[in-house]
Amino acid sequence: MGKLRQQVSKWMMQNLELPADVVMDLPRITMIGQLHIYIENHRGVKAFSNEQLTLKLKQGTLVIKGSEFVIKTILPEEILLEGTIASVDFEND
Amino acid sequence: MKSKWKNVKGYVRVEIIGQESSSFINKCIQSGIQIWDIHPLDKDRVLVSISVTEVRKVKTILKENKLKIRIKEKKGTPFLLKRMWKRNGFILGMLSFIFVLFLLSNMIWNINVTGANPKTEYELRKAAVEIGVTKGKFIFLLPNVREIQRELTEKMENVTWIGVTQHGTSYRFEVVEKEIPETKQTTGPRHLVATKQAVIHSVFVEKGQPVVRANDYVKKGSLLVSGLIGKEKKPELVSAKGEIWGEVWYQTEVEVPLNTSFQTYTGKYKNRHYVSLFGLELPVYGFSDGEFQDKTETLNETPLYLAKWKMPISYIKKEIRETDGVKRSYTKAEAIEVGKQMAKKELAKKVPDDAKIKGEKVWQQNVSNGKVKITMLYQVIENIASEQPIPIQQGE
Repeated sequence: MGKLRQQVSKWMMQNLELPADVVMDLPRITMIGQLHIYIENHRGVKAFSNEQLTLKLKQGTLVIKGSEFVIKTILPEEILLEGTIASVDFEND
Repeated sequence: MKSKWKNVKGYVRVEIIGQESSSFINKCIQSGIQIWDIHPLDKDRVLVSISVTEVRKVKTILKENKLKIRIKEKKGTPFLLKRMWKRNGFILGMLSFIFVLFLLSNMIWNINVTGANPKTEYELRKAAVEIGVTKGKFIFLLPNVREIQRELTEKMENVTWIGVTQHGTSYRFEVVEKEIPETKQTTGPRHLVATKQAVIHSVFVEKGQPVVRANDYVKKGSLLVSGLIGKEKKPELVSAKGEIWGEVWYQTEVEVPLNTSFQTYTGKYKNRHYVSLFGLELPVYGFSDGEFQDKTETLNETPLYLAKWKMPISYIKKEIRETDGVKRSYTKAEAIEVGKQMAKKELAKKVPDDAKIKGEKVWQQNVSNGKVKITMLYQVIENIASEQPIPIQQGE
């Protein structure tokens, strides 16, 4: 069932030109150089320290590494992180 | 925008001590508590900003998770005000200084009177006190300068004109006194001559030699009563005195329009009060226009002063008075009647008070351009005698 749904939404995305984040509930990530990272559609904070922020996603996790991290704002589905961002990794588990 | 609200309400920077800071963040989000500026300090300490109104909610979450809280900083307007209130004496002093300066600069400090003799000055000061212009009164509570000038001029009898000017905190009254000329008794030798062309009506001579008789025609300047009496060869000089009544013709022209429209006040009025801030008029009291059909408005502006500077604040009183348009129309006969009365009034201005009107006559009357034009002729009996001194001839 889930597989069918995924296929339908993928088809919709490709053929109806709908934005992928809306259709498939994926995170939308906006970065400004290394300074800011803005993530929409996250599912909560897993771990947070000076050098690393781990966010839950609908599928898997997002690991952001860098230094001097500060969470500027956090809302149920949005997060704005400041600092020096070194890498953004998707981990599927 | 959002951050400004945070400042208005006030917020605290707190340290959350304990493991699992991420679960605390998640809990806060789930229960709808706004947190921001999250600084991880080390493994089990996180610095967080929380709005003052939500601190209590956060505390219950902390208890559940066995975390500790330590308040580091208090920020925002409520805390700033609290800190400022500690120095309230200073602020109150500053405010009261400005307030006192403001009051004092809107007070009358001095009243100068120039151009009046002591008696008039005393009366003027008394009249000024009656209408409330005294030292120590607030200027903004008084009527404006024009009004004061009008009232004072009305009250003072022996004064032609009073000029009221306001220089900051002092008023200056400039007075022009009425000069009543003293009637001089001329006692030197003189003749009586005619002031105007007339037919003599009656002659009363107290002193001197009458030259004319009743029904004589005299021109302007002709001799009426001679100051030379006695024998022709050796005349004696006297001061001629007497009344010579002559019949004089006066011609007055008046024009009476048949249709006139007037504006009269019905007596109904409404006052509106405004405070003007930088030219913006804010209504304070009196909001209705009175719903008058026809009206006239008068504005009375009283600016406030701080020291010598005019403040951008002023008090404005707007008077709205209802007017009534009255149309008056005369028939031709009525217009002539009114014209006659007007002509008589005109005449009364020209002739001396003791003159008698012997007869009147409508000389000409015509109607043109909606106006009745009347020329009246009057026969007036008045005293036409005036004194003329006799030059003393030298060398006789």
